[in-house]
Amino acid sequence: MFLENMIKIWQRYYYVFIDGLFGTLWLALITVVFGTILGTLVALMRLSRSKILYAITSVYIEVLRGTPILLQLYFFWLLLPKIVPFSMSDTTCIIVALIVNSSAYVAEVIRAGIQAVDKGQTEAAKSLGMSDGHTMRYIILPQAVKNILPALGNEFIVMVKETSLASVFFVGELMTAYKTVQSSTFLALPSLTIAGIIYLIVTFILTKLLRLLERRLQASD
Amino acid sequence: MTKQVQNQVILRVDGLSKSFGKLHVLKQIDQHVNLGEVVSIIGPSGSGKSTFLRCLNLLERPEKGHIWFDGVDITKKKIDIDKHRQKIGMVFQHFNVFPNLTVLENITLAPVLEKKEPKAQAAARAETLLKQVGLLDKRDEYPRKLSGGQKQRLAIVRALAMDPEVILFDEPTSALDPEMVKDVLNVIQTLAESGMTIVIVTHEMGFAREVSDRVLFMEDGQIAEEGTPDEIFGHPKNPRTAEFLSKVL
Repeated sequence: MFLENMIKIWQRYYYVFIDGLFGTLWLALITVVFGTILGTLVALMRLSRSKILYAITSVYIEVLRGTPILLQLYFFWLLLPKIVPFSMSDTTCIIVALIVNSSAYVAEVIRAGIQAVDKGQTEAAKSLGMSDGHTMRYIILPQAVKNILPALGNEFIVMVKETSLASVFFVGELMTAYKTVQSSTFLALPSLTIAGIIYLIVTFILTKLLRLLERRLQASD
Repeated sequence: MTKQVQNQVILRVDGLSKSFGKLHVLKQIDQHVNLGEVVSIIGPSGSGKSTFLRCLNLLERPEKGHIWFDGVDITKKKIDIDKHRQKIGMVFQHFNVFPNLTVLENITLAPVLEKKEPKAQAAARAETLLKQVGLLDKRDEYPRKLSGGQKQRLAIVRALAMDPEVILFDEPTSALDPEMVKDVLNVIQTLAESGMTIVIVTHEMGFAREVSDRVLFMEDGQIAEEGTPDEIFGHPKNPRTAEFLSKVL
């Protein structure tokens, strides 16, 4: 019965789930890409010699890592429409919230990746009279990327799952797809199981790809 | 040696002190290096040799004292230290070549970025230098394909490509396999004979005796004795120098 229902639902609503999956992947990708850009800035501020910047970014990271992501989604969803001078869709608010949340985690990943580069590299660059900016851009960051990339892949996998919270605000993604199907079929458990299986397949594939990437990076050492 | 040491001071150190926490690593050092001079620094480990050397290009910030390079006090707050470091080359114990760049890029990166040298000119210069140290065939390799001795020769060439007025060597052969030491020492010796100003921290006593114009014996954060190689190695005046040399020679 249960399996039958699942198959029936899939046959009739597969496009809803597939749409949802693309929504999820798109959300996760956008979040990680912009989260990485923002996170890099935060990490660089944290590593700069300025104590003020260090304090600000410490608070930023603590707050974002120390509060639930769902709370942050609500916060941005309520706050942003009030403070921006133009109208903002729910989806945009949620994307901003996800990016900000992700940037805190990515910032720490990047900071650790940069600090793991041998101190002798900075010293060599400085001894040649290279500026701090050039040293970072041409020597440290290219080497840090090797430490950072696998962790970013991991962040992407985490985000594939975390973005499910966006369904609370009915932003198009896989869990929202489940809600849609569930409300028109009243078959909650089979629909949920389908969504779960899709999540599992996707994260499984992504994890395997990540392992492959890690091995590649190690081989080039 | 017939090479002429000019009487022009290029580096002057005045009352240099440095401590790490409670440990006083350098205690009120006064020294100078003349243009074209080769100065070796020897002494037991932990005597402050490397820290002293690293202060000369401000990789370590001294707490007290001044360092004049080319007549400019580089310990002053407002000085653009990067500009001065371009003229003070440094070669490290662990090579610190850039693994993300090819051999050629290792050499041309800083001249192109910081001295705005045209790429083609920097590359031509790099090739000439690579040829001199026998690494021209490695031009497009990444450093991971090089042996320790080759990496160190690359590091020397990288420093030379900036046309420095002085090169600091921080135990350049200490991390090398014994059979590679000679290659690197030969390169340094050729440099010394070409008139380059060199300050070298080394445990290679034979080398120090052969190439130096002056030898400094450091002990406990101070320069305990200095003199010509013959004076230091032949007739040390300080009993601590004699004791150290009897242990290492």
